[in-house]
Amino acid sequence: MSRSLTFRIFRYDPQLPGDAPKMVDYQLDETPGMTVFIALNRLRAEQDPSLQFDFVCRAGICGSCAMVINGLPTLACRTLTAKYSDAVITLMPLPGFELIGDLSVNTGKFMRELAERLKLWLHPKAQQADIHHLEQPMEPEEAAKLYELERCVECGVCVSACATAQMRDTFVGAVGMMKIARFELDSRDARTADDFYHVIGTQDGVFGCMTLLGCQDNCPKDLPHMQQIAYLRRKMAGTLIASSKV
Amino acid sequence: MLTKYRIGEGWLGYPQSHRWSAIADVLQSGSGLILGLFLLAHLHFESSILLGKAAFYRVANVLEGGWFTSSGHGSSLLTQTFSVFMLLVVMVHAATALRRFPAQRRQWQALRNHNLLINHQDTRLWFWQMVTGFLMFFLVPMHLVTMITNPEIGPHLSAARVWHDNYWLVYILLLPAVVIHAMLGLYRLALKWGVNFHRDGLRLLAKILIGYLLVLGLCSLTAYLLIGSGLTTPVTPFIP
Amino acid sequence: MKLIYTDALVVGAGLAGLRVAIEAKQRGLDTLVLSLIPPKRSHSAAAQGGMQASLGNTVKGDGDNEDIHFQDTVKGSDWGCDQIVARMFAHCAPKAVRQMANWGVPWTRVTAGPRQVVVNAERVTLEEAQAAHGLINARDFGGTKKWRTCYTADGTGHSLLYAVDNKAISLDVPVHERIEALKIIHDGKRCYGVIARCLITGELRAYIAKCTTIATGGYGRIYEVSTNAVICEGIGQALALETGVATLGNMEAVQFHPTAIVPVGILTTEGCRGDGGILRDKNGHRFMPDYEPEKKELASRDVVSRRMTEHMRKGFGVDSPYGPHLWLDITLLGRKHVETNLREVKEICENFLGIDPADAWIPVRPTQHYSMGGIRTKPSGESPQLKGLFSVGEAACWDMHGFNRLGGNSLAETVVGGMIIGSYVADFCEQEELQLDTRLVEQFASELQQEIDTLLATNEGEDAFELKLQMQRTMMDYVGIFRNGPELQKAVDELKSLLERSRHIHLKCKKRHANPELAEALRVRRMLKVALTVACGALARTESRGAHAREDYPQRNDKDWLCRTLSSWPDANALEPSLSYEALDVMQMELPPGYRGYGADNAIAHPDTAKRQQQIAEILQQLGDDASRQQKQQALMPFELPEHLQPQNQRLHELLARGEKS
Repeated sequence: MSRSLTFRIFRYDPQLPGDAPKMVDYQLDETPGMTVFIALNRLRAEQDPSLQFDFVCRAGICGSCAMVINGLPTLACRTLTAKYSDAVITLMPLPGFELIGDLSVNTGKFMRELAERLKLWLHPKAQQADIHHLEQPMEPEEAAKLYELERCVECGVCVSACATAQMRDTFVGAVGMMKIARFELDSRDARTADDFYHVIGTQDGVFGCMTLLGCQDNCPKDLPHMQQIAYLRRKMAGTLIASSKV
Repeated sequence: MLTKYRIGEGWLGYPQSHRWSAIADVLQSGSGLILGLFLLAHLHFESSILLGKAAFYRVANVLEGGWFTSSGHGSSLLTQTFSVFMLLVVMVHAATALRRFPAQRRQWQALRNHNLLINHQDTRLWFWQMVTGFLMFFLVPMHLVTMITNPEIGPHLSAARVWHDNYWLVYILLLPAVVIHAMLGLYRLALKWGVNFHRDGLRLLAKILIGYLLVLGLCSLTAYLLIGSGLTTPVTPFIP
Repeated sequence: MKLIYTDALVVGAGLAGLRVAIEAKQRGLDTLVLSLIPPKRSHSAAAQGGMQASLGNTVKGDGDNEDIHFQDTVKGSDWGCDQIVARMFAHCAPKAVRQMANWGVPWTRVTAGPRQVVVNAERVTLEEAQAAHGLINARDFGGTKKWRTCYTADGTGHSLLYAVDNKAISLDVPVHERIEALKIIHDGKRCYGVIARCLITGELRAYIAKCTTIATGGYGRIYEVSTNAVICEGIGQALALETGVATLGNMEAVQFHPTAIVPVGILTTEGCRGDGGILRDKNGHRFMPDYEPEKKELASRDVVSRRMTEHMRKGFGVDSPYGPHLWLDITLLGRKHVETNLREVKEICENFLGIDPADAWIPVRPTQHYSMGGIRTKPSGESPQLKGLFSVGEAACWDMHGFNRLGGNSLAETVVGGMIIGSYVADFCEQEELQLDTRLVEQFASELQQEIDTLLATNEGEDAFELKLQMQRTMMDYVGIFRNGPELQKAVDELKSLLERSRHIHLKCKKRHANPELAEALRVRRMLKVALTVACGALARTESRGAHAREDYPQRNDKDWLCRTLSSWPDANALEPSLSYEALDVMQMELPPGYRGYGADNAIAHPDTAKRQQQIAEILQQLGDDASRQQKQQALMPFELPEHLQPQNQRLHELLARGEKS
C-alpha cells in the first residue's frame, strides 16, 4: 500500500503586496519511483496551480532545481521520496539567492554576475591554431582533469551550503573558486598565477574560505572542492611569497 | 567605464591590501598550529601530576631550563618569557581570526538561519570552534597574565593557585574551550592546506582527542584540587 | 509597454542560439538573447555522447572525411534531407570542433599506443598512432562508417554549452532570462521581432529587431514520456506557425531514442552502445544481430528503436509495472570505463533506478527524443516566407536530418549551424534596414494582452494541465514509433477537439505575475497546434521513411513521397494546419536514393534515380581519375558557404601522407 506523504512547502510571493512567508502542508499519495520533481508537478496540476518551482532537464544534468529538502540542499529532480522514511518532506528555497517566489530562486543572475566578476572564461594564449588546420595537441590526462572540474552545473548548492557565503555577500563561494581552479589548470589559458591572485587571492576569495566544507558535502556532482580550494590556497600563498621577494 | 580610484597601496609604500589577506591567512594558520601543538604538550606536561608530585616537579624543573642552571631548579623567568611569547602568538591568532567572526548583527542572523535551515556537521563544529574561540578572548589572557605575574610552577604552588585562589573556575571553563577549539582547529587546518584529506579519519581523531584531553585535563584538575585542598596557607613549595 | 530595439534578436539561449548571437556580436552588431531559463540550463547540456566531425585522428576514424560524413548523414536521413545543407554541415563540422577547442572545450584526446575497446561484445586492442597523441579523439556512434563522434567523457553537451556561454559572457552578449516570446511581429512579408512576456513580473515587452532568430529547440514535450527537458514544448515552432505565413517542415519526423530508462524516460547516451554496450531481451539474449547482422546495435536510431519494439511485440520484452522493456548491458565495458567515460549514465542509474550499471543491466525502452521537423528555412537559415525570420538548431528544419537524425549530428548541428547561420544573420543585419510602423507592434501586443485578459477573466472552463496531459497521451498512444491510418485519424480528431477546448481555459490562479498556470495555458494551446502539424503530417504521409514508420505503408516510397511536408496555419480559427509539399529533386542530388545499409530494403524507386545515377557516372568519367574528391564533389553538387568557412579542412592522415608530420 502506498503511503500518504506530507509536503511542507515554503510559500511566499515577494511581488504580492501583503504576502508573508509561510509553510503550507500538502498531502499526496506516494507512487513507486516518485521523485520530488514528480510530486511537485502533481501538486501544481492537482492542488495549487500557483506553486512556483524550477525544473528543466529533470535528470540531474542542468542544475535548475536545487532546493533544501529536509535540511539538505540538493537537486530535487533526482531526489526519490522513498528516501525519507518519515513521510514528511520539508521543502525550502535555496538560501543566498534572490527569491522569485516559493521554491524558485534566481541562480542564473548570480552565476552570470559571478562569471563577469571573476572573468570565468578561457583567455586564450595569443597563438591559437586556426579552425581549418590541425588542432593543437593537449595531454589526454590534462583534458580528463579539466573535464573533472568542468562537471559543475552551477546549481548553487555549494553557495547555499556555505555559512561563509551566507554571512558575506561578496564571498565568491566554492563555485567561483572551482571555476578559477579549472582555468588555472588549462594550458590554453594565458593567465598567470599572479592574474588569478588578483581575482581570488583576497578575503572574498580563497583566503576568506573557512573550510566548513558545506560545498564538498552537498555538491550533487561530487566535485573535489576540498582538494581544489586547498590547492588554490597553497598556490596563492606561494605566489605571495614569490612576489614579496621582488 | 570609469571606476572609483583609491590612492594607497603601492603609492604609499605598503603591500597591496589584498596581499594582507594571504598574510593574515598564513599567520592565522601558523599561529593556530603553534598554539594547538603547544596545547597538546601543555596538557600532557601538567598531567604528570597524576604520576605524583615528584614527577610533576621534575617536569616543571626541566621545562624551566633546570639543565642549564647550577641548582637544577631552572628559572621562572623562562616561564615568564615563554608566557609573553605565547601571549603574542595568541594575539596574532586572535587578530587574524577576528576576520572570521560574524561582526554584524546581520551576519549573526545569517549564521543562525543557516544552522537552522541546513543540516551540516562541519558547520556546526565550526560554530562551536567559533564560540569557544570567543570565550578564550577572555580566558586565555587571564591564564597567561597570571603566568607572567605569578610564574611559579610546582606541585604545591600550582595546586594552591587552583584551590585557594579559585583558579579552578577559570580552568573549568578554559579546559573544554581550549580543547574543543584547538582540536577542531587542527583538524580544519589539515584540510585547509591539503596536508591530509582523510577527512572522516581526521574528524574521528579530533573527536577522540577532544574526549581524551578533556578526561586528562579534568583528572589533572581534580588532582590539583585535591592537593590544594590539603594545603594550608602560606603554602610551602614542594621539595622532593 | 517597453519597446526594446536591437539588430540581431535571438530567441533561445541553447547552443545554437548562443552561437548565432556570438557571431552577430563579433561582427559588431547589437545583439540580444531571450531565454526561458539561464543559458547554461538549456537542454543542449543534456547531450551526452558527442558531436560528429570527420577529423579522423583515431585509428578507427582513419581516412574519414567530409564525403563519408555526408553520405552517412544522407543515408541516416533516409534521403529525406537537403543534401546541399548536409554538405555545408559536413564541411564545417571539423572547423566547429576545432573552434570549440579554442574556446575551452576539453575534448577527450587520443593517447598514443595500445588502447582497449569493446567492439561487437569483444575486447579489442587498438594501436593509436604516435602522431595522433593529444589530438581530439572520437568514439563510435550509430549509422556511421567511421568512429567520428568527438566527445568529452559523457558530458559533451555540457562542456560545449559552458564554453559557448562563457564566450558569450566574455563578449558581453546580454541574455534576458525568464522571458517567453509568444508572438512574432510581422506584416505577412517581413518579421520585426517578438512580443514577449516576463515570467517573473508578467510584463509584456516588444523586442524589435532587424532580424529574429528562433532557436528554441524541439517539441518533444507534446509527448508524455520524452527524453527532452520540460521546456522543449515547441513554442518556437508555434510562434512561426501562428504567423500564418511561415511554414514548418517535416513535423511528422519525430525520433525515438532506443535507450531511455524506464519509466522516467531519461536518456542513456548512444555512447553506451558506441563504446560496446549491447541490448538484451528477457532471456538475456542479444537480439540485435538477429535483425541487423551488419550494424547490430549500431544501426541508425530509427531502425534500432523499431527492432526493439518489434522484439517486444513478439513477447521478448521484460515485464514491469510500467509495461515491457529491454535491457542495456554495459557491464562488459568494465567498471573503470563506466566510471570515467559514462559517468553521467552511472549517476542517472544510481539516482533514478538505484542500480550500478557497472554491475547490473539497465532497463530501457525507445522514447521520444528528437524533432527532425521544425521551422522551414533556406540553407541560409532564413524562412522562405518571412523575411528577417531565421531559425537554427533543433527548432529549425534547415534539413540536414531529413527523416532520421544520426546520433552526434544534433550537437554538431547546433554549433555548425550556429556558425554558418550566424554569419548569414550578421550579413542580413548589415545589409537590411528596418522600417517599422509601431502601430503594428501595438496590434500584436494588444492581441497577446487580450489573450491574457480573457484567460484571467474566464470563470469556468477547461483545466490547462488536464488538456496538456490529454494531448501528451494522445501523441503517445497514436503517433508513436509505429503508426497507422486509423490511429493517426483518431489522434487528429482528439487533438482537434482538445484545441477547441483549449479556447475555453479557466484559470484558478488569477495573478498576472509569476503565474505558472497562466504560462501553462498560454503554452498548451500553442503546443496543440504543433501537435496537430505532427499528427496531420503523419496521417497524410502514406509511406515509411526514417523515423516515420507506417504499418499500413511499410515501404519507403520515393516515387510519390520524396518530398518535404510543409505545414502552415493561415486561418487562426481553423482546427488543423494546411499541408503542402516541396519536392526533393533527385536530379540535383549528389547521392541519389538507395539502400541505407541497414533496416528494411524495400523502397519504391523514384523514376529519376536511374537517370541521375547515370548522369553522375558520366560527370565523374569526364573529370577523369586525377580529379580530387573536392573537384568531383563540386561537379556533382556545388554548394555555397560564407567565405571564411570555405577553406579545406586539414587532417592528420593527409599530413602524414605528405610526410609533414611524424
